[in-house]
Amino acid sequence: MRGRFHRRALRGAVAIASVVVGLGLVACTGGASKSAQGGSQGKDTVTVAFRTPNWILPISAPGFTQGENATFSSALYRHLYEYKLDGSAKYNIDTARSLANPPEISNDGKTMTITLKDNTWSDGKALTTRDIQFWYNLVSANKDKWASYRAGGFPDNIADFTVKDEKTFSLTTTKVYNTAWFVDNQLNRIVPLPKHVWDTDSATAAAADLSATPEGAKKVFEFLTAASKDPKTYASNALWKVNSGAWKLDGYVPGGEVVLTAQKVYSGSDKPKLSKVVLKPFTGDDAEFNVVRSGEIDYGYVPAAALDQRKYLESKGYTVSPWYGWSITYLQLNYNSPKSAPLFKQAYVRQALQMLIDQPTISKVIWAGTASPTCGPVPRKPGADGSADGCAYSFDPAKSKQLLESHGWKVAPDGQTTCQRAGAGPDQCGDGIAEGTPLAFTVTSQTGFAAATKTFAEIKSQMTKLGIDLTIKEVPDSVAVTPACKPTDANCSWDMSFFGAQGSWYYPAFASGERLFATGAPVNLGSYSNPEADRLIEATQFSGDDSSLKAYNDFLAKDLPVLWMPNPVYQISTFKSGLQGVEPQDPMNGMFFQDWSWKN
Amino acid sequence: MTTSADMTGTPGERAEQPPDADDAPVRGLWRQGVEVFCEDRLALVGVAIFLLLAGVCFLGPLFYHTDQVHTDLAAVFLSPGAPGHPLGTDGVGYDQLGRLMLGGQTSIIVGLAAGVLATAVGTVWGAVAGFVGGWVDAAMMRVVDAMMAIPSLFLFMLMATIVTPTVPMLILIIGAFAWLGPARLVRGEALTLRAREYIQAMRSMGGTGGRAVRRHIVPNAIGTVIVNATFQVADAILYVAYLSFLGLGVPPPAANWGGMLADGLADTYSGHWWLLYPPGIAIILIVLACNFIGGGLRDAFEVRLRRR
Repeated sequence: MRGRFHRRALRGAVAIASVVVGLGLVACTGGASKSAQGGSQGKDTVTVAFRTPNWILPISAPGFTQGENATFSSALYRHLYEYKLDGSAKYNIDTARSLANPPEISNDGKTMTITLKDNTWSDGKALTTRDIQFWYNLVSANKDKWASYRAGGFPDNIADFTVKDEKTFSLTTTKVYNTAWFVDNQLNRIVPLPKHVWDTDSATAAAADLSATPEGAKKVFEFLTAASKDPKTYASNALWKVNSGAWKLDGYVPGGEVVLTAQKVYSGSDKPKLSKVVLKPFTGDDAEFNVVRSGEIDYGYVPAAALDQRKYLESKGYTVSPWYGWSITYLQLNYNSPKSAPLFKQAYVRQALQMLIDQPTISKVIWAGTASPTCGPVPRKPGADGSADGCAYSFDPAKSKQLLESHGWKVAPDGQTTCQRAGAGPDQCGDGIAEGTPLAFTVTSQTGFAAATKTFAEIKSQMTKLGIDLTIKEVPDSVAVTPACKPTDANCSWDMSFFGAQGSWYYPAFASGERLFATGAPVNLGSYSNPEADRLIEATQFSGDDSSLKAYNDFLAKDLPVLWMPNPVYQISTFKSGLQGVEPQDPMNGMFFQDWSWKN
Repeated sequence: MTTSADMTGTPGERAEQPPDADDAPVRGLWRQGVEVFCEDRLALVGVAIFLLLAGVCFLGPLFYHTDQVHTDLAAVFLSPGAPGHPLGTDGVGYDQLGRLMLGGQTSIIVGLAAGVLATAVGTVWGAVAGFVGGWVDAAMMRVVDAMMAIPSLFLFMLMATIVTPTVPMLILIIGAFAWLGPARLVRGEALTLRAREYIQAMRSMGGTGGRAVRRHIVPNAIGTVIVNATFQVADAILYVAYLSFLGLGVPPPAANWGGMLADGLADTYSGHWWLLYPPGIAIILIVLACNFIGGGLRDAFEVRLRRR
């Protein structure tokens, strides 16, 4: 027995030691044992580091709005319009990629007439206005289940939808909207759906015209949603086999690898140049980067902490390219949290918290210069520098402390700050905050992002200095566990949520905030509500003047519906130098695999 | 069979002896056990390593003062030997040596507490199941079998995502699922022991089942339990490391060696070796120490069994 236990101990020790020493050797030599000879270079396949999508239906659903779902869905189903931000096209419409010609505006700006180009579904059937109407009927009857819906927005703002013929349809709005806003932020949601396959409420019944009535559309939507909630059947379910996109789904492992193959009968002009795209998920930055270094993947990303490996990667035949986004990053506050809502509703509390976030230093040190401060809801130009010039609240712990003390808080550095003067007066803690209430919050953040973990270690440290207790909880999907909620909901106890390790929100071409910060907006997870903000957001939808966007930005930058955080690049992309067509990377977070090819 | 002379051979019967009974042979067995343990050099090395690491972690901060609460972004990734930082600093400016001490406290506390909790729960569960037998045994062990069928790491990860990981919570989570092994072991011992004559004698004299478990089954299985406990401690320390490695450990500024190892891996390719080796080596040493101690204890208890 003695020998057995000692052998067991030694075996265990040798195994652990081997792993650690092995890792250490890799670290110290600065070189992987394999060169970058793996991957698919020289073939017609590309392997891509990519989180496993978990939503396939091209009608977004609450809790499934992650970027990987949008990319996955758009690879299979084309949007009516695609956009580009280079300023070269009217309304930013990418005409080559779009399914329709730019809209013709009439009726004093209220009617948009849209003509489809000649396109077909993967089964050869023509893509027609019936497929647009099918989509319209589904979202109209099920708008409360659509993540892009907000009261008063699409389709509430449509007075009339008319199909003129198989190629032409028109939309007449209830009011005269800012055309740029309507084209960029409303028409961008339209995705033709294969009515001839999907207009049914069961897998056995043939598609008919069920969606023509609201009741029928609800049944169809329920059927499609249920299928989309069943990822294990994605690759086998006949529903998903008829596509309009450049790719078709060839393999899907829930939580694992996804294989897309080129759609041979794709009718778009941007034909795929590769025959297969393999999407590989990783549990975190380290695992992904190990594979990049080993050369086993063609397209991946470099964690911010490893950016100093750029030269090494380039010597191994990789191109390293930061992917700047048309995005903002923020820390969501829950204004319906039974515990924390009274605190968050106090503007001075939000300001005090914001002044404890050292955005420039975090951007420079933790994100290795690949992030830049977010100052307000309208994004800075992609690739902006790391200064916080222009931010309403810069890093200022002393002012933060003064602000709390002037509102009746007993600040206890490295202890627990508590409310000393309860009440709603100007020098008191505020309405609903009892004497003795501690400043204590829990932030739900993301696992797998080393820089995000360090960012919150830094923020917690700064808050601790003012006696604010910040508990950090990391989960794999922070969006899913911090939904918009009512105070009485069981899942409404969350205080703060962070899902911005790759940017919190990527805007469509027109960066207005009706989906984020308007009362009841679909992605307003924290239920922020301010009538003035609503008014200014509304104004951006009607005025073609840039000043309305500026007024909206300036107001929310100061009002702090969320805490502004360093906005990282979507990722620091790294790809085999022989892979062409990856750049320019779309600031609106689109990935067009059909543009990619291997250099001969 | 009921004479005191017959009863001196087992700790269980020793407990039923009158206070003035001659317990010299028992003390002799314990002494022999200690002697055998002390003859085992690896076991002594294990004790020395454990005490050394525990001493450094718990007493070190009394002499080596560092700020493990506040970050210092002006002093990130300082190399070992930098002024005031013999082991350098990490990615947010924490002193690495101080962090090792802090992390060691968490790892050792969670490891010991979870190991003891798992052993205690498993011992009682297994002893009751094995002694009572019948449908009670079947039901209790099916619970164990069912829980064992689920990968423990999966359960730990699931729980860690549901609750906010704290030290007490980690102890509970690991302890709540690590008791299955001890339960099986002790149940096997109990099945053997319950057929022994001295237990049947006790029952015939009116002794209750509870007394049998408390005074005979558990004490007689104590060797197995203690040896297993040392391995449970080692396993618990590794589980903490696994969870932290997967990002499900205690959040900052708290630390543990597994989390430090994970953080170190993130910076592996930047040449920051001091973030990787120290926590990795510390984990190896503490797990080795527990295993060596367990091996030594096993041998020590075997002496007693052989003598009996």
